[in-house]
Amino acid sequence: MQSAAPPHVKTPINTYRIVQIIIGVLFTSFVVWRLYNVLFVQAIYGADTWVRFVLAGLILGSVYSLIAIGYTLVYGILFMINFAHGEIMMLGAFGGYFVFEAFAAIPSSDPNINILNAYPWLAVIVSFIVGMTVASLSGYFLERIAYRPLRGAPRLVPLISAIGASTFLQIAAQLLFGSQRRNYANPALLERGSGWTVTIADKPVIITYTGIFTLVLSITLLIALYTIVQRTKLGRSMRAVAENKQVASLMGIDVDGVISRTFIISGALAGAAGVMWGIHNGLVYYFIGFIPGIKAFTAAVLGGIGNLPGAMLGGLFLGLIESVGPPALGIDFQLKDVIAFSILVLVLIFRPSGILGQVLSEEKV
Amino acid sequence: MNMHIRNGMRTGMIFAVVTIFLILIGFEITATRLIGGRIGNNADSQAVTPANLLIFFGFLSLLAGVSAARRMEPDTWGKVLQAGLAGGSVYGAIIALFTLLIGSIHAQGIDMRKYLASVSPEDMDFYLFEQSPLNAALIYLAFFLVTTLLFALLAKFIGHSPARSALDASLKRLQNRLDQIDWLTKLRTSRYLRYAIYAIILVTVLLIPQFAGQYWNYTLGTVGIYVLLGLGLNIVVGLAGLLDLGYVAFFAIGSYTVALLTAPEPHNLMWSFWAALPVAVIVSALAGVLLGIPVLRLRGDYLAIVTLGFGEIIRILSKSDVLKDFTAGPRGVRDVAQPILFGKAFNSDIAFVYIIILACLLIIFVTNRLQNSRTGRAWIAMREDETVAQAMGINTWKAKLLAFAIGAAFAGLGGAIFASRNQFTGPEDFSLMVSINVLAEVIVGGMGSIPGVIAGAFVLKGLPEILRELENYRILFFGALLVAMMIIRPEGLIPSSRRRLEMHIDQEGPDSEGETIEISPTAANQASSSRQSEL
Repeated sequence: MQSAAPPHVKTPINTYRIVQIIIGVLFTSFVVWRLYNVLFVQAIYGADTWVRFVLAGLILGSVYSLIAIGYTLVYGILFMINFAHGEIMMLGAFGGYFVFEAFAAIPSSDPNINILNAYPWLAVIVSFIVGMTVASLSGYFLERIAYRPLRGAPRLVPLISAIGASTFLQIAAQLLFGSQRRNYANPALLERGSGWTVTIADKPVIITYTGIFTLVLSITLLIALYTIVQRTKLGRSMRAVAENKQVASLMGIDVDGVISRTFIISGALAGAAGVMWGIHNGLVYYFIGFIPGIKAFTAAVLGGIGNLPGAMLGGLFLGLIESVGPPALGIDFQLKDVIAFSILVLVLIFRPSGILGQVLSEEKV
Repeated sequence: MNMHIRNGMRTGMIFAVVTIFLILIGFEITATRLIGGRIGNNADSQAVTPANLLIFFGFLSLLAGVSAARRMEPDTWGKVLQAGLAGGSVYGAIIALFTLLIGSIHAQGIDMRKYLASVSPEDMDFYLFEQSPLNAALIYLAFFLVTTLLFALLAKFIGHSPARSALDASLKRLQNRLDQIDWLTKLRTSRYLRYAIYAIILVTVLLIPQFAGQYWNYTLGTVGIYVLLGLGLNIVVGLAGLLDLGYVAFFAIGSYTVALLTAPEPHNLMWSFWAALPVAVIVSALAGVLLGIPVLRLRGDYLAIVTLGFGEIIRILSKSDVLKDFTAGPRGVRDVAQPILFGKAFNSDIAFVYIIILACLLIIFVTNRLQNSRTGRAWIAMREDETVAQAMGINTWKAKLLAFAIGAAFAGLGGAIFASRNQFTGPEDFSLMVSINVLAEVIVGGMGSIPGVIAGAFVLKGLPEILRELENYRILFFGALLVAMMIIRPEGLIPSSRRRLEMHIDQEGPDSEGETIEISPTAANQASSSRQSEL
């Protein structure tokens, strides 16, 4: 091996190490100082509050995980940011909303109770089916119309197309359904704010039904997806296409079909996330997909994009950071997004491949 | 089933879905109003008549008929007839079914606006021609069937008439003859012609504000600011190939710097605009370097998401109560100073148009010189392949930081003028949409091309102002336009010559238009190899 750099060229790696060290020391001392301050000097929050923060973070994080999976799946195969993924989640949320509205509108034999409350679980199941179908279909058509003609184009081209599609879907939803915020009509069983009461440190903590429902369902879906990708034939062909499209097609895999199915699967997960978002947070309007979409992409990058467990972990981590970070560092809650994005920047400085490392080689990134 | 019949039915189905979508978002009413206003030549009485509605639907079926007829090879009259018939009947049948459905809901007196915000009862009455749903459905069935078939046949007739082929041939002959004339070719490729054209454009641009009204001057100013932003982002994305989705942050920083330095609140520094302007530019450039350092090692989409995060951080910080004492929080900064030159205050829109044009000219000059300098070539090399660029001895770190700094400085200049023109700056002006708009402008116009970026700014910021009657629909069309543009013409409206070669390397060699003369065969080779490496 010959040494490549002439003596007068500074090797950039050393400079970067110095930058890393400076930023690392500054950041660590800041966090330690704030944590010490909040936990021992001020000590405003008791154990019950912390439990509440962690729970809220886990619930939010599980929704992020579901959306982040969609980003990671698509990125792993096409190497593009599917910017419109958040909008797909929004459409799924609308699908669930209309099912609940329809159920609530139908009168039942008992005049005091409508169908929604007479058969709550049926309503919930149908709303998830409809929401996931709507989102899958939009995902499928999105790919067919906006991305498929762009195979093989330079990287920026599909990104711009995705931005265009995102704008289109958002405004289309605004024009179709109006810009007012709509209340999600949950069945009484899953009423927002009600839940089990647990006593922690002599104070009651409400564990909401909707929260537990969201958490359990999204973890189930994540496990299901992981099984699909790892165990089934479809999953194997998806991994093969992600590895190398040309070789995969030589092995007899229908690459376009696999890509379509990837969009359908990630759309279904986003749709489920949308319905959960509606059930848990209670509001649906045309803009709800945008911010969670960006956050979920952040989560996917945090975990190492293209990496499924990474996306799940990244989502949960981001949710926790957003919820626990502001009180733990004694920072205003308005700045939770600042904390989330700062964590992202820090992770990328110290470990550019994300928390769980990367599946992709550097050229692909 | 026969291929052409299936194609016809597919076309019919696609157009039916599009039409239903347009009806559900209430666009048919707006379109009718537009047609009534334009064709009837009486803009004040907004003629919403059934005839105008049918003209709009006729336009849609024209597109459907043409695309049904266009899809087959080799086409005979019989096949076109079959395709048109199939397309028209599917189109008509779906619309008729939809009309029956929505009409019967309407006939029961249900106001659909609770769920479908754009479908009001009055619009429904109009859509149904004040008839029963069944009658209206029959009308639409017949209308779409007949018009689609007719237009398909018409398309076939025009597409293959002898007149058209004669026209094509004579155009080609004229082109050939023109190419043979020596002095004309010389004139076309000469730089003096280009200078003359630039001079004419410049004079026109300088004269326009004198005749345009206040509103148009304001719009022109907005377009100009977007030109500034676009040229700055063009350096970062177009030349250096660093995908920056948080570009609005530098716009915000420039804007806030001027605002905080000149406004009476919250700091009461009361600098003059001209003193604050360079500070704003320098602060923005420093912010660019600050952002640049941690992301130096990142590539592609990672860079995109980090810059996006940075943009959001800046916006949230400026909005938050935490920095309220420093940035005035969500209320924003009022009474930003306006420039005073030779004792004359620039406070009208027309004065600002000239300032903005001046800034644009300066930036265009700087960009042009940079592009062809050693630095510019280093950026382009880095865009094409970072590893190879590094191996060629380019200090990619320096080049990246420089690109970030210069791009940020341009945005800072734009932000400073923006704040001063509005006499106000607040966090709401700096949403992510601004970054996305500017990026779209650069890419729609043509990455790495100065005229392209200007054209992009006019298309994305100017055109929507002209189509103001379309209200929210224009953003919808903006989204659709971006997608369509990427499919049809991904290199942009006025691409730089290198970029054009890259995008169409398999289809055409270097063509001989005026701008491409500077492209050497090696550049074409480079482009082709970079494309291969990307695949």
